[in-house]
Amino acid sequence: MDFGKAAVTLLGVSKSFGETSILQDISFSVDEDEIVVLLGASGSGKTTILRIIAGLETADSGMVVLHGKNVTNVPARLRGTAVIFQNYALFPKMTVAQNIGYGLRIRRRSKREIAEAVDRLLELVGLGSHRDKFASQLSGGQQQRVAIARALAYEPEVLLFDEPFGALDAQIRTSLRQEIRDLLKEIRVPSIFITHDQEEALELGDRIAVLNGGRLEQIGTPFDVYNNPWTEHVATFLGSANILEGEIRDGQFVADNVALMIDDPAKYREGDRVKIVFRPEDVFLRRPENLTQRYHPFCSGTIEHESFVGAFERVTVRVDLPGRQSITVVRPKTETAAFPLAIGQTVPIGLVRFRVLGKPKNGSGKGARTAST
Amino acid sequence: MSANLSGVRHVRGFDFAKPLSITVMIGIMVPLILLPLASIFIFGTSKGLDSFWAALKAPEAVFALKLSLATSFWATVFNVLFGLFAAYVLSKYNFWGRNAIIVIISLPTAIPTAVAGFSLLLLWGPYGILGRFLEPHGYHIMFTAAAIILANIFVTFPLAFGVIMPVFETMSKSLEEASATMGATRWQTFRFVTLPALRGAIVSGALLTFARAVGEFGSTILVSGNLASRTQTAPLYIFAKFNEGQVEAANAIAIVLALFSFFIFSILFFARDWFEND
Repeated sequence: MDFGKAAVTLLGVSKSFGETSILQDISFSVDEDEIVVLLGASGSGKTTILRIIAGLETADSGMVVLHGKNVTNVPARLRGTAVIFQNYALFPKMTVAQNIGYGLRIRRRSKREIAEAVDRLLELVGLGSHRDKFASQLSGGQQQRVAIARALAYEPEVLLFDEPFGALDAQIRTSLRQEIRDLLKEIRVPSIFITHDQEEALELGDRIAVLNGGRLEQIGTPFDVYNNPWTEHVATFLGSANILEGEIRDGQFVADNVALMIDDPAKYREGDRVKIVFRPEDVFLRRPENLTQRYHPFCSGTIEHESFVGAFERVTVRVDLPGRQSITVVRPKTETAAFPLAIGQTVPIGLVRFRVLGKPKNGSGKGARTAST
Repeated sequence: MSANLSGVRHVRGFDFAKPLSITVMIGIMVPLILLPLASIFIFGTSKGLDSFWAALKAPEAVFALKLSLATSFWATVFNVLFGLFAAYVLSKYNFWGRNAIIVIISLPTAIPTAVAGFSLLLLWGPYGILGRFLEPHGYHIMFTAAAIILANIFVTFPLAFGVIMPVFETMSKSLEEASATMGATRWQTFRFVTLPALRGAIVSGALLTFARAVGEFGSTILVSGNLASRTQTAPLYIFAKFNEGQVEAANAIAIVLALFSFFIFSILFFARDWFEND
């Protein structure tokens, strides 16, 4: 079988513990130099995927391929992956230098070679002066950097990050995240991150794979997954989303007396029940001027609630449709100042971007790379 | 070491409860613990250091001390190795009867030492369940140094395990996993990662076992035969000399054993932090 240039390929991986199914038919691949983020709530199976790639867990069925080599039945120590654990897992009785040199020591490299590699890596992660310290003497962020240097020392096939920033303060988390992304782009090692933090996923990933209940719901670039979610779960897990139900009539999305033109009407049959999803920032409560995107007038609505949340204003609007569902709209400060709203006021609702939920027609969803935008 | 004391005040001004309760506490400890211990030093040195040295240098006394140290040493070596092995197996694998095994390993703590010694006699003695088959071939286990080692192993069996097992249980599983993904074999992981983390527990487990074995009396008196210069350990020597009315001889060894216990106890007490950290 040909696995192309992929660094990591998973093919139809399934796993259950007893009666409980953890993973169902997971397939995706990670290219050389690419960072893929597995995003999911706890229990979505993301950790299990990571452990199966590392060989710490075995799949019930399916295949794990690293750089073209089928490693499904290869023990963890012969796979050459590197796991960066949430608790860092630095060896407590070894110094920073000994920790970093461990993989090479196991590989019986010469003392000189190990010392040189350790110096180079300490330089790379900016911990040159901490060479002879123990893990307990370092801060969380420093320990995580040692863990990364230790993982890089033996030139792993893939770096696997198991919620690496979970144990850090919010501030350190953000700065370390950018630092690590820059580092990974510089050294060009394929990496898989797992996280439940959407912001982290959007910032780190070249592609994001969204997991839900042991299934891979969608994989694509952050832009693609955010703007063109296939499922309700993807739409709501990554950012906030408004979802409205309707049906297909005359090749349009119709809810009560309003209709929206849709992109690929041929995909649907007359009368199909469908849902559309749109982001709070893609809703306008008056027709904006100088708009470069296409404006889709929708129905009217009643302002129900307004709250100031720092950089923008969040408005809850009740739509004048059967069911009278509430939707969330966010408005920038400039708009808030130019067009103040009052509770109970009736406003026109217009959308600049929306999407009918469901897989695109050409996307098989099985490890396929959605066309980059 | 800092104590976490609560600072609630119940009275105004000088609180008599404080000096009073401290005095009562020490008052109880003095006759029960401190005076008996002091007595062996007061009495043992009352006839001068010369007679103390003479009593200590008696060949029988020297032999008893050496035998105690040697038998305790081998029992310690065995129990530390076994404790380490058992803790490794029990922390790594879950199997039917695992809890039963943990209970059995801990059981000797609850068994009276005389019962332990007696049960060894019934198994390995000349008429014992297994001993009777060895006897015709000229193998004697009871009433030899080997019997003392067996008795020591029995009574100190849970001690090293009891110290090592909790460390295994609290050790993060990801350390071993990290080591494995980095290419280490099971043995390399044990040698470079697991064992160093257990160093402190192994040393305290060994000291505890050794201290307990050196002082063992109840089981030893049954299985050793208490033969002077052959199977007489230090505690048995104290007992024998006291029975013969040679109180000075008994006292000299008692002082040595007491000092030895203080020594081991201080290491355990003060060096714990040192073992834990580097």
